[in-house]
Amino acid sequence: MNSHPLSRRRLLHGIGLGAAALAAAGCESAVGLQERAANAVAIPRPGGTAKLGLTLDLIPKNLFTNTGPAITALIGLVYDTLVRYPARGLEPRPALATEWWPAPDGLGLTLKLREDVRFHTGRTFTSADVEFSLRTYADPKWNGQLRSTAAAITGIDTSRPHEVALRFAHPLSNVFDLLDTVPIIDSETAAGIGTGERFVGTGPFRFVSWRPNTDLRFERNPDYFVPERPYLDEVQARIIPEKSSLLSALKAGQVHFADALSHRDVESAEKYGAITPITLEGAELQIYTGANVTAPPLDDLRIRQAIAHALDRDRIIAEVFRGTGFASSLPWPEDSPAHDPVRAARYVRDLPRARSLVGQHGGPLPVIPLTYVGNDTSQSAVAQIVQSDLAAAGIRVELDPLENSRFTKQLIGGEFRGLWVANHSWAQFSPSTLTVSAYPFNARKNASHFSSPGYTGAATAAWQLPSATGERAGAAYAALSDQLLDSLFLIEIGVYWHRWAHTSALRGIGYRRRRELDLTDAFLA
Amino acid sequence: MLTYVLRRVPSALLVLLLASMLIFLLLRLIPGDPAATLAGPDASPEAVAAIRGELGLDRPVPEQYLDWLGALLTGDLGRSYLIGGRVGDLLADGAANTLVLASASLVLAVALAAVLGPLWAAGRNRWLDRALTGFTTAAVALPPYVTGVLLVLLFGVAARLLPTGGVPPGGLADRPDITVQYLLMPAVCLALPVAAVLTRFFGESLRTELGRDHVTTATAAGIPRHRIVLRHAVRNAVPASVTVLGLQVGNLLGGAVLVEAVFSWPGLGMLVQQGIDRRDYPVVQVLLLLSVAVFVLVQLCTDLVHAGLDPRVRLGSRS
Repeated sequence: MNSHPLSRRRLLHGIGLGAAALAAAGCESAVGLQERAANAVAIPRPGGTAKLGLTLDLIPKNLFTNTGPAITALIGLVYDTLVRYPARGLEPRPALATEWWPAPDGLGLTLKLREDVRFHTGRTFTSADVEFSLRTYADPKWNGQLRSTAAAITGIDTSRPHEVALRFAHPLSNVFDLLDTVPIIDSETAAGIGTGERFVGTGPFRFVSWRPNTDLRFERNPDYFVPERPYLDEVQARIIPEKSSLLSALKAGQVHFADALSHRDVESAEKYGAITPITLEGAELQIYTGANVTAPPLDDLRIRQAIAHALDRDRIIAEVFRGTGFASSLPWPEDSPAHDPVRAARYVRDLPRARSLVGQHGGPLPVIPLTYVGNDTSQSAVAQIVQSDLAAAGIRVELDPLENSRFTKQLIGGEFRGLWVANHSWAQFSPSTLTVSAYPFNARKNASHFSSPGYTGAATAAWQLPSATGERAGAAYAALSDQLLDSLFLIEIGVYWHRWAHTSALRGIGYRRRRELDLTDAFLA
Repeated sequence: MLTYVLRRVPSALLVLLLASMLIFLLLRLIPGDPAATLAGPDASPEAVAAIRGELGLDRPVPEQYLDWLGALLTGDLGRSYLIGGRVGDLLADGAANTLVLASASLVLAVALAAVLGPLWAAGRNRWLDRALTGFTTAAVALPPYVTGVLLVLLFGVAARLLPTGGVPPGGLADRPDITVQYLLMPAVCLALPVAAVLTRFFGESLRTELGRDHVTTATAAGIPRHRIVLRHAVRNAVPASVTVLGLQVGNLLGGAVLVEAVFSWPGLGMLVQQGIDRRDYPVVQVLLLLSVAVFVLVQLCTDLVHAGLDPRVRLGSRS
């Protein structure tokens, strides 16, 4: 038996190995398919599929709140706006509107619209669509952040199909912020937005499908009004909620683009090679410490001033945001018309002064709760540094990490018991937009329970200017900044830039001022 | 057997009813608000209150519960607050993905236990014993998200052999050869702890059976070893292992939540995680009730199989 050249065992081994080899030859590699798709185009040219990794899935009813990466990707790909701000400055540029002129009384604006624009359904874009989009945005049920500005548009004349005249209740210094933000939607299919079934705009890509928790798909809009754009045939956005998984997918080249990675992760991915970060300058965010001014000892302005002097802003920007930002006592980015370097440096780390202010308060200080989103690594790190800084000034703080959902509820409900750490946006637009759109800054009602005639007056005066720039505007913004610095219901830490990361396979990625993804000029290389 | 079945069903239904109450109540006791998530951080309290009214969250909780239960009994699972779609559709999509993942994991776990269990029972090689003990201890001790991350770093990022996560772009049924590659790492990750528990239990049961008198008699009678193992030892060790397998299905579904998150596998685990994060009550309460129902059903089936395999269970129940 043993002398037989082909035993039964050897035969079975042979069959097994042969079957494995055949299976290996017959099966294609899933990774290979992905890499071939990326490498198929050796030189920049039209075509291909961009693969995006997004950490948060779509909430269709949040379309107008511009929150979450899936929403900002959807808006950037599918929708256009009437005007577009450049990456820097507040000089609007043509988009769906080609030119515009203000009313002589400062209470109106007329816009001339492009005549060659079609919705993805094939219908021609007209002034009636502008009215529909602005009215929808102003509807409270959509919670658009610039709703108060949209609601101040009292009349919309659409008698000419390619010209629209807006009338305002009062001068609106931030009207171009609104026109840069409101996506122009198709009235005939708007009912499908809330259910996530249809998203029809005039943008470079058409919405194809959405599989909740899985992916979003878009295809090229062949009728896009910009000639020979977009280059890409298709965009696939995968939902990858775990940031570590997203980072792995990016490092493995299985997605071309990743949003919402922490600054440390982007830095690490950059070191790994073949990963390029995009610093979203012009779309700034601000990190701040909020204070409930009705809760002792924060009801004492000296304690809030002590906190402002105790914070090591430079350390936070350097360590948590890896240097992509700058320390500031005010929310304004450097190119904002409200930016003033002297005012921005009013509160710097000065521990003796902080301790002196604490001493002036008299009596022992109670432990102050410091609330933040616990699963946000950046905010957790900031909260810990704040705790350490305040301890050095004699202010004891107890960390209170919360889930995002609970944090948002407490923020809106004004339920914070002491301090909180969060970020905000909107300061990159006209300064008045911050005070009428970002809830923490709202003069009428805010999470700090702060109100003062001076702040309300300054916020209203800045909003009702005829223009966002100029000498008069500068004086109004200075008054607003002084109100923020004097009242300290929000203690700014600094301004920072969000970072995206992409592989070398996808190039030409752009963004708008609210971090909407722009792939009009993107291509696979 | 029918009497046995009829005796078990009412208690299963009672468990489901109590579970539905508990789930509904607990979800509303957890701090957080779906209306706040929908409104966004820049919304005013008035906007949040309006959304609560629109979603019916301002009504008394018992009224909300009875409405939900009534709709559930007519087959209407409701609509997701945040995704906007019907919960039934979301469930169907997620369940298909989870079922594929859990089935693959179960097959892998059973196959591993079937191979390693007898080796464990044999206990003839010291090094093999140590290796098996080490493997089963590590597989039970390592949380699936640690195993998952390690697998991704090794096979996804470093070797670039397998996709790091997600499902095939064309769907699971489009290209089975591609689907297998997407499935491999999450299935292994999910199967390992179950396989370890099963291996140990099955191995120990086998070892016990092999030490019994009837096995000694059969050996003395000259019956070949493999026949003794297969006909006598395995046959007696399997029923108890089936019960353990039934319990492990619960662990499998629990582990799926973590594994689906690590591998972005869009199944029920990911759906429930997102639902809890965003306080999407309609989705979460149906999913939790479904997992209770699956667990109750699996236990019922396990008991029935056990009763079928072991007449003493049936007879004991009757007496």
